[in-house]
This record gives sequence, C-alpha cells and structure tokens, in this order.
Amino acid sequence: MIVHRPSSIVQRRFIVLLLFSCVAAIHAQPASLADGASLYQARCASCHGKGGRGDGEYSGLLNPRPSDFTSARYKFRTTETGSLPTDADLARSITEGLHSTAMPSWKPFLTQEQVTAVVTHIKTLSPRFASEQPRPITMGLEPPSTPENAEAGRIVYETLKCAVCHGIDGRGTGAIARMFKDDWGRMTRATHLTEPWTFRGGDTVRDIYLRFRTGMNGTPMPSFLGAATDAELWQLAVFVKTMGRKPLWEMKGSEVSTYYKDQQLEAERDLEKHGEYIANISGCTVCHSPFDDDNAMIEPLKFAGGRKFRIEPFGDFISYNLTSDKETGLGSWTDDQIKTFTTRGVRPDGTRMIPYPMPWPNYAHMKADDLNALVAFLRSLPAVTNRIPPPRQPNIASYLAGKFRMLILKRDPPIYEYPGNAGGRQ
Amino acid sequence: MKRFLKWFTILVITFGVLGFIAFLYFIPPFDSIAPEEMSRPAAEAGPDLSAIADPAERAVAERGRYLVTIGSCGDCHATPGPQGPRLKEMYLAGGNKMIRKGHGTYISTNLTSDPETGLGKWSDDDIKRVLRSGLAPDGRPVQGHLMPWPSYSNWTEEDRHAVVVYLRHTKAITHQIPPPTADVTLTDPAAFEEDYGGKDYATPQR
Repeated sequence: MIVHRPSSIVQRRFIVLLLFSCVAAIHAQPASLADGASLYQARCASCHGKGGRGDGEYSGLLNPRPSDFTSARYKFRTTETGSLPTDADLARSITEGLHSTAMPSWKPFLTQEQVTAVVTHIKTLSPRFASEQPRPITMGLEPPSTPENAEAGRIVYETLKCAVCHGIDGRGTGAIARMFKDDWGRMTRATHLTEPWTFRGGDTVRDIYLRFRTGMNGTPMPSFLGAATDAELWQLAVFVKTMGRKPLWEMKGSEVSTYYKDQQLEAERDLEKHGEYIANISGCTVCHSPFDDDNAMIEPLKFAGGRKFRIEPFGDFISYNLTSDKETGLGSWTDDQIKTFTTRGVRPDGTRMIPYPMPWPNYAHMKADDLNALVAFLRSLPAVTNRIPPPRQPNIASYLAGKFRMLILKRDPPIYEYPGNAGGRQ
Repeated sequence: MKRFLKWFTILVITFGVLGFIAFLYFIPPFDSIAPEEMSRPAAEAGPDLSAIADPAERAVAERGRYLVTIGSCGDCHATPGPQGPRLKEMYLAGGNKMIRKGHGTYISTNLTSDPETGLGKWSDDDIKRVLRSGLAPDGRPVQGHLMPWPSYSNWTEEDRHAVVVYLRHTKAITHQIPPPTADVTLTDPAAFEEDYGGKDYATPQR
C-alpha cells in the first residue's frame, strides 16, 4: 500500500542529483560550506525547507512561520533597515534561538564551527549576500534603567504612536488594527509587550532597542530611525522593558487565579484568535489539512480537509472540510451541529462517528468557552470548495478480519494515513 | 453411520463458521456505547490533583491536565492491553507502536514522572524543548508527524509550563520504552503510510 511515484520522475530526480554532485565535485568548495550544507539538511530543512524557502515539512503548522532564507529579509539584526544581517547576527539567532518559537537554542547541540558553517550555507541561499554588504548601525550607549528614563520612554511611546498597533497597555487595547500582513501575505499580530519572554529576539533593553532601531525586515514593524533620536529610542526600550508582567512560572498564590481570569477575559476579547489557538493546540489543523508526498501541508487546502485515514475494520475516513463553504464545508451547519459533532461524534443526520481517527471523546471535555471560540474561528475561515466523500467501508474480508482483531483479540484497530487530497470528487 | 457422522461434522463446522462470520458481521463494534460512556475514560484517567496542597500549583496543574486531554496526548502515549488501552492504571506510560514507512518504527514514550523510564530526570527545559522544537535532550530530532510537536509548538510558553507542571504530578510507572529502530533523519518521500498499532511494545522488565 506504499504510494509509488512514477518511475520517470524518480529517474529524472536521480539524473538531476547526479548532475548536481558532478557540478559540486568540479567546484571544489571550502570544507565548511559542504559541512554547512549537510548540517543544514539534517538540522534545519525539516522546518526551513530543503531550498531554504521556509517551506519545510513542518512549516505549515508553525506559527510564526520558519524564516525564508531565499528572501534574505531577516528580522533580528544589528544593521540598518532593509540591510542584510551580519554573520554574528545570524549566528546569534542560531545559538540563542528565537524565544517562544519552534526555533530552539542550538548551543547545546552545535559547536561554534558548525554554527559558522551553517551561517555560511544559509548565506548561499540568497543571491543578495554575493552582491551586497550588511550596513551595521552605530548606536549610543545603553542608559541606566532608571524610573526617569522609563518615564521619558513612556512619552516616546506616545509620540511614536506605538499604541496604534501595540495598544495603550501593550496588549492591543485601543489598537486601530490587530491583524497585519507580512511580506509573504500571511497574517501576523503585533507583539504583546507585556510578555517579554515571547520577544523572539530577546528581552534585554539592548534587544528591545534594536527592534525599533533596525526595524524587523519582512514584517510591518518599521525602523524608527529619524522619527526619534537615538537617546529617545533607548529610553523607549527602558520603558517597554518595564511593561513586562510576571510570567506564570514566577507567580505565587492568588496571582495565578488572577492570571487565569485575565486570560479568560483576553480570550473573550478576541474570540477568533482564541479559537485559532484552540484549533492549533487540539490538533484540528493537523488532520484537516492534507499533506503532499513531501510531507508538507498543501497550503491552499488548509482546514479544507481531504486527509485520508484507513482504519481497519471501519474503512476509509476523509477529514472533513472545516471552512465556511456552504456546499462542501461547515457553511450550512449550525453552531450546535458543529459542537455536537466535536464533543459527541454525532453527525447532523444522526449517525455516529467511531472514536477514530478524530478523538472526539477527548474534545468532549473541552470547555464551553473554548468550544464557542473554536466555532467562531471556523466561521471566520474563508470558503474553500473541497467535496469530501463519505466514509467508505472496506471489502467484506478485511472488514470481518478487522472486527475479529478488534472484538475477539481486543486489539485497537490500526490506523493508516495517506498523503494527498482525497477530496474534490463528487 | 460412519458416512452420516462425516456429513454431520462437515455440516456443523460449516454452520459454525458461517454463524461466526454472521456474528462478526452483525454485532455492532461500538454503536451500543453512549458517547458519554466513550468520553468518560479520558476524564477519569490521570492523577488526583486535589491532593496538591498549594492552590496556585493546583490551578496550573489543572490547566496542564486540560491541555493534555484536549491535545490527545493520552491517545498515543497509552499502553495497549488485552482489553483496549489501559488508560487508568498505565496513564501516559506509553508502549504503543507507530510505524512510518521509510522512517522507522517508534514506540510511544513513557511520559510519567518515573526517573528511570519516564520523564523524571528530564529538566523542565528538556520537556519544553521537545514540545516546542521537537528536539530530544540529546539533540535527536523527533518525528513531527507521529509526535505532532509542530502542533504543540503553538502552545503559549505559559501553557507549556502548565503541561510540564501537570506531567510532574503523574504517578511514576516503570515502563521501559525501546528507542526508535531507524534513524529519524532518514527520509523517503515515496513512503508515507503511517500505522498506529495496538499492542504494548515496551521492553519486558526482568
């Protein structure tokens, strides 16, 4: 039951590979570059993609998305806006990691030489590094973190209108817009300034200063060079640092219950965002988005279903289209129908779903608020037409064999998954 | 008489086989169980958190339990038994086989607080790293399609912390899980089929 590729494609790939290795052999590259390339394929490619386009097999599920190295637009730099990063900037992101994202700190696993080799390889992924030079910024000295400087920074926060995106409280309250698009057309949100441990590039005053001094290339966060003096930007950094609240792991006593109440209010304030969070963490995204032969999510069909599961003895189940399409998605389902199916496995026509592959017995314990948010999020998904065929029973022999295995031998039914979109047919 | 006996035996066997097939065909495998009954084990399994003295820690652990439940951790990290998954007595002890063709065979790991065979000796950061970035403490990459860490990577840092706090409160169960049988970096795009099995594959304890 292994999916076979047409042999011609395999052959063509082999020839291309052969050609590549010949070319590689002729151009005797420095040892570190070759080493960096293999390290990159082993360590980085599963998220950043084999060619560095940020489209690795896990990329579709990650938020924020892995960096696209071919664009050479890097967020965390010590160079002028729009400029390339220095080698040290790239090495820092690798060794320190990007906080609160899937990018780990590689310090325990890669030596300094290996990091340098990977940096050298990453730079070959964009032609810009061959023709341009990074333009490092000149910055003044870090001021002391005094209340006076923080107060001066608060005034800069007002003058520069930071609150337009980040909100007067740093959490988006009063912000004109909360959703933005990055250079790749993907939705992104202004960082919560009250949660410094989520500052991807670090939460020291210097790290914070660098973000508004250099801007974050590829995102709507601009450089504020010229809009304020260097000293003012430093004061702003001191102020933003003071906005941070205590993280959960440092809280004691009643702080925890206050925190959870706060989180609930926050969720109610932005139901769709919270629903998206629930969809991501409870695995809706994984199974209701089909994957191609290279294991990468088929992005136009995100949430449009079509992933095939074979469960012996019950047959083939195709994950349903969760988008708001009237004909083939949840557009014509009522809120109650969605909730009943999610928590009880009962379809609108009254038939029941087995507890595989969708683990609805677990979702039965989902809180009412989370369920409401999830429905609100599913309603907000743009309609994608992808007609999902109903479950199909296997042939009678495997059906009986599977039932024997399940009911007499008391084994769980095996679940098989298949790549590609099984929807779309009538 | 001898001939009659022979035919009688054949008839009985034929009816027996046919009857057994009919029995297999007609008994409903699950429809007779109410949805509430099916979802109850997920709520009943797991440690008694009311024993935690500090109410703050209890609130965090309860949040962790909620995330572990709706994140369906217990489905794969269940220990299969002769009467189905042993959700209660082997809560999160692992041992379920998962195959990804061309990528190797994996046995779901022991998530209990057991120091030798579970997560007892892992640091908080080790657990958070595998949930956030799919890297084991030794740097080995974790297969993200069988263990969907890219999904759990979306947990906020504080929710991930709650999960760690909760896992620390699970009952320690000694259940040695063998390592994956193939190099996880080995990839063959043509081989995708995944199999989630149903037998306890833990290493027997001597």
